[in-house]
Amino acid sequence: MEFTANTAEQAAPDPVRSAVYYDGKSSRKRTVVLAFGDKLVISGEGLPSESWDYADIRRADGAPGVLRVSCLSASPLARLEIRDATLAADLESRCARLGDNSLDGRSIARIVGWSLAAAASIVLVILFAIPLAADRLTPLVPASFERRLGDAADAQMKAVFGGHACKAEAGQAALVKLVDALRKSSGLDLAVEPAVLDTPIPNAFALPGGKVYLLKGLLAKADDPDEIAGVLAHELGHLAHRDSVREVIYNGGTSFLVGLLFGDVTGSSTLIFASRSLVTATYSREAEQNADSFAIEVMQRLGRSPKPMGELLFRVTGKEGDNPLSILASHPLTEDRLKRMSELDRQAAGPPLLTRTEWTELKSICGPVSKT
Amino acid sequence: MNQMSFVAGQPPGVPPAPVAFSGNRGRFLSLASRGAALELVTFGFYRFWLVTDIRRHLWSHTLVDGDAPEYTGRGRELLVGFLFAMAILVPIYLVYFVIGIEAERFKAFASVPLVIGFYAFGQFAIYRARRYRLTRTVWRGVRFWMDGSGWAYAWRSMLWGLLVLVTLGGAYAWREAALERYKMHHSHYGDLQGSFEGRGWELFKRTWGLWLFGPVAWIIFPLLPIFYAEFKAREWRWWLCGIRFGDVRLESKLPNTALYGLYWKVIGWFLLFDLVIGAYVALCVFLLKGSGPMEAAMQALPKNIPFMVLLVIGYLAFILAFNVVMRLYFQRDLWARVASSTKVHAIESAENVTAKGEAASALGEGFADGLDVAGF
Ligand SMILES: [Zn+2]
Repeated sequence: MEFTANTAEQAAPDPVRSAVYYDGKSSRKRTVVLAFGDKLVISGEGLPSESWDYADIRRADGAPGVLRVSCLSASPLARLEIRDATLAADLESRCARLGDNSLDGRSIARIVGWSLAAAASIVLVILFAIPLAADRLTPLVPASFERRLGDAADAQMKAVFGGHACKAEAGQAALVKLVDALRKSSGLDLAVEPAVLDTPIPNAFALPGGKVYLLKGLLAKADDPDEIAGVLAHELGHLAHRDSVREVIYNGGTSFLVGLLFGDVTGSSTLIFASRSLVTATYSREAEQNADSFAIEVMQRLGRSPKPMGELLFRVTGKEGDNPLSILASHPLTEDRLKRMSELDRQAAGPPLLTRTEWTELKSICGPVSKT
Repeated sequence: MNQMSFVAGQPPGVPPAPVAFSGNRGRFLSLASRGAALELVTFGFYRFWLVTDIRRHLWSHTLVDGDAPEYTGRGRELLVGFLFAMAILVPIYLVYFVIGIEAERFKAFASVPLVIGFYAFGQFAIYRARRYRLTRTVWRGVRFWMDGSGWAYAWRSMLWGLLVLVTLGGAYAWREAALERYKMHHSHYGDLQGSFEGRGWELFKRTWGLWLFGPVAWIIFPLLPIFYAEFKAREWRWWLCGIRFGDVRLESKLPNTALYGLYWKVIGWFLLFDLVIGAYVALCVFLLKGSGPMEAAMQALPKNIPFMVLLVIGYLAFILAFNVVMRLYFQRDLWARVASSTKVHAIESAENVTAKGEAASALGEGFADGLDVAGF
């Protein structure tokens, strides 16, 4: 059926049937008359009559109180605006697919589903692909870059632990002797600079490039040179495996991917930090295990038992398995480490690594020890 | 010379067309709250749809001469733009990393120029993101659009940025004017070309006091939001009054003090949320700490799983609530105040504009998201 009504007949448009029309080719505002037949027919003065299929009509954003619609088969920016509520309701009732453009519950559910899938795949990449990439890339990083990394970390570490290096000469000589023995036995080809930092925290760490720091708190808890030797050998293990470089690559990659997820959510840096610490813990546990293996091997080659190191750690941390969050710890559980080292315990075959006097000097490197 | 000569170029009898904002605040609030919750559930991916919903709301409730513009962008476009941008950015990041290491080998800080490269890329992204938003804006069936080059803009932005750095911020006003001139000169409404008449000197005259006494505000901290709000209001007014499309020009009567309330309210909400989360954490500690000496009990807390879970929930609630507050005040309320202060002169010259220009891709928005730069 064809709409044939002459526009001249409607020279005085019925106010209820009139609407505003923009043809999408110019910004000219036209008052038009609507007719509801098989199709919606839009006619106005000086305008070729347009007919819109009801099924093609979609709602477009409009101000409150205005029904603004577009039509899939018309010019993409052509708009019809209806201000009269009855007329708008009439048109709405004829257009079954008016709201197809809007975001309904189903499409939101789809967004949620795909987001979860994307998040899962990013987690998989973090768990499997990035560790592999870090392993492959680490050997390619030049040693000079590693040293610069270490220098930057050095200043930070000293600021964090607030300690300065203890300078007692005899003690330092004993420390250097101990580290040198370990280094030679391990075949590590790197200038290692050991020092004791004057802070009560019981810990030790190695910085990329060769600085090894023993914190006084750990030294104070040690009863035997072999205990300290094991810890230092563990730190040399980190240096030999270039764990810091690997960690930088790994952390960079995971931060980037986790950042992708959260994007511009305010406070996302904390979310990124938290979720990253969660996934990196697994990764660094493996590095710790490898450093332990390194230490065990070095001690055995020197004819000393690795067990004292495990005992020292156990003395410092106590049993850790009771902690339900231990899965998040960056180190293997101390009791597991002690168990592993105890199994490899054997009678010392090699000479002691330090003499009695040297050990006493090392213990008092930061000044006289009050404890007997 | 007649009495009306102070409004030059306006024929007497044609009053300027008003701009009004008719959006319901409660509806925006529920839109932003629902969006924040969905952002959480989707690990942030919903941001593309939330941003779209917010723009659709703001555009469609802003009446310019009685007719609201329409935002035709969609969340899916932003997602695709973001993925494309990532596909381009990831290799660049990797090359940047490798070159950075190599450069550092020869000389410390030799990698600084690379950082500048990323800044330039960010400026490019800002320009292209603006282009996306503009080409998704339709008023009376005719699209706004933009040409010009993102890289040309980035160059200008960098050179002006250098000048601002050298003059300790003194050249800021001229930088804004020059960049705005470039952007507006390449903006169009149909076949009406945009331009920008705001002068750097004008902005400088209006803001030099704030620039000069800015350092004082850093010392006397509560002055800072006042200074910033005052500065922003003056800048908005200057910007709006400079905008032209053909003969159409905007005029803004935004009072200097118009934005004070927004900043104070956001700060107030932030402090309130801080108090609430503090009380919440204290309650969790009180309920879940074990018996025994205080110190030992406190040390055991980080190992207490229910406590940690409650802490994470509290933190997320805090972030979500604050996100909603920021969007409500800094997007919706700011928009409403600025829009309703604006009038459009000579709008009759836009009555029969011929449509022109195509919709631009969302790649620019993707870059802006990936590089964490924002532009308006
Ligand atoms: Zn370790």
